Amino acid sequence: MRNLLNFLIRFNNLIIFLILEGVAFYLLATRNTYHNTRMVNEVRGITQGIGEKINKTRNYLSLRDINQGLAAENVAMRNSIERLVRRENSLFFSVADSVYRQQYSHTSAEVVENSVNRQKNFFTINKGRLQGIRIDMAVTAFNGAAGVIVGCSDNYSVAMSLLNLDFRLSVRIKSNGYFGSLSWDGRDYRYAVLGEIPQHINVNVGDTIETTGYSAIFPEGLMVGTVRDYEKRGGDFYKIRVSLLTDFKKLHFVDVIGNLEKSEKVELEKQFK
Amino acid sequence: MINSILRFGLLFIILILLQVLLFNNIQFSGYVNPYVYLMFIILLPVEIPSWILLLLSFATGLVVDLFSGSPGMHCSATLLAGFVRPYILAVVSPRDGYEGRSEPSMINYGFRWFLTYTLLIVLVHHTALFYLEVFRFTDFFRTLLRVLLSSLFTVIFIMFIEFYRKGR
Repeated sequence: MRNLLNFLIRFNNLIIFLILEGVAFYLLATRNTYHNTRMVNEVRGITQGIGEKINKTRNYLSLRDINQGLAAENVAMRNSIERLVRRENSLFFSVADSVYRQQYSHTSAEVVENSVNRQKNFFTINKGRLQGIRIDMAVTAFNGAAGVIVGCSDNYSVAMSLLNLDFRLSVRIKSNGYFGSLSWDGRDYRYAVLGEIPQHINVNVGDTIETTGYSAIFPEGLMVGTVRDYEKRGGDFYKIRVSLLTDFKKLHFVDVIGNLEKSEKVELEKQFK
Repeated sequence: MINSILRFGLLFIILILLQVLLFNNIQFSGYVNPYVYLMFIILLPVEIPSWILLLLSFATGLVVDLFSGSPGMHCSATLLAGFVRPYILAVVSPRDGYEGRSEPSMINYGFRWFLTYTLLIVLVHHTALFYLEVFRFTDFFRTLLRVLLSSLFTVIFIMFIEFYRKGR
């Protein structure tokens, strides 16, 4: 007994250190199930206020850029409306046509917290469960892929940014349709890496990279970026560097896209797995 | 005693605010994130009991974690820094020991001493922090580069703040 006490007294610092480090690692380990940790959500509520203040200031300073972006988006939308209207007029529809069935829901939101300088970046948006945001919805900014919702509270949601080592996105080269997997290598917030494209395929600098829609999170044909350069490495695959369309350092207004038919697709696929 | 608790409380608040409002928003090219809040651990009195030092390091890390939304990361790294601090102090101890002047600051022990001491603690902290952040050993050397560059900037900022404190 005395030996035990002596031992405890002699190594009390080490013991305190190990216990606290254990707590820290527990917190660290549960971070991956980000949305499940109530604590994070609760505490975020408190720190959110400060984050929002910082963000407001930053928003104010970059109003000019935001305006330009919104104007550009307006033009693009007007164009697409134009196209749609013309198609509607020139084609014959029956009333029950499935073309009218809505597959994707759009919600616009504002980014209130963001980072690009970590290896696993997340950002927070100011819409949550009450506004219809759910886990696994896609986030886009000015029609480029930006991230995926991983956690919601009532009025806020946290999204895993494309700039996260754990992020994978199924994309294809628009010109020839070959698909691969896009991920971030943690180096530069402007570029991501496209893998799994075999070397017998022609790749050109400037090729458009777009989403495939295979994952049922991102809609098909959403632009992600363009090929910046590529190299043939020892294996069978290219290593393609993609300049991202989305500028993550200026992420302010985003569009959250939910796939209304996702559960149907996932259920069906589950039967064959 | 009360006086020094107030002083360190104030230092704590200032450093956390600096970190959260200013340094967490500095984003040089994805490689450099200075973490000046570590200065709180660096400046605590030499004779502070180790268990208080450990608890304070843990708390500091936790607060920074809460503000940057990364539970556990800063916590474990800062705790490690607090744990090794007594050993580092022993290694770099000046010729006539630490008697009389309890605060390990530049004004007490000089520029060279403070630089070595700060550098050692910052390196321990940043190494733990950045490897915990990526949580893998692929890209080992790139993470090492991030550790070294960020340490450099953290040390520069800490020396800068310390100069300012000295001037006051």
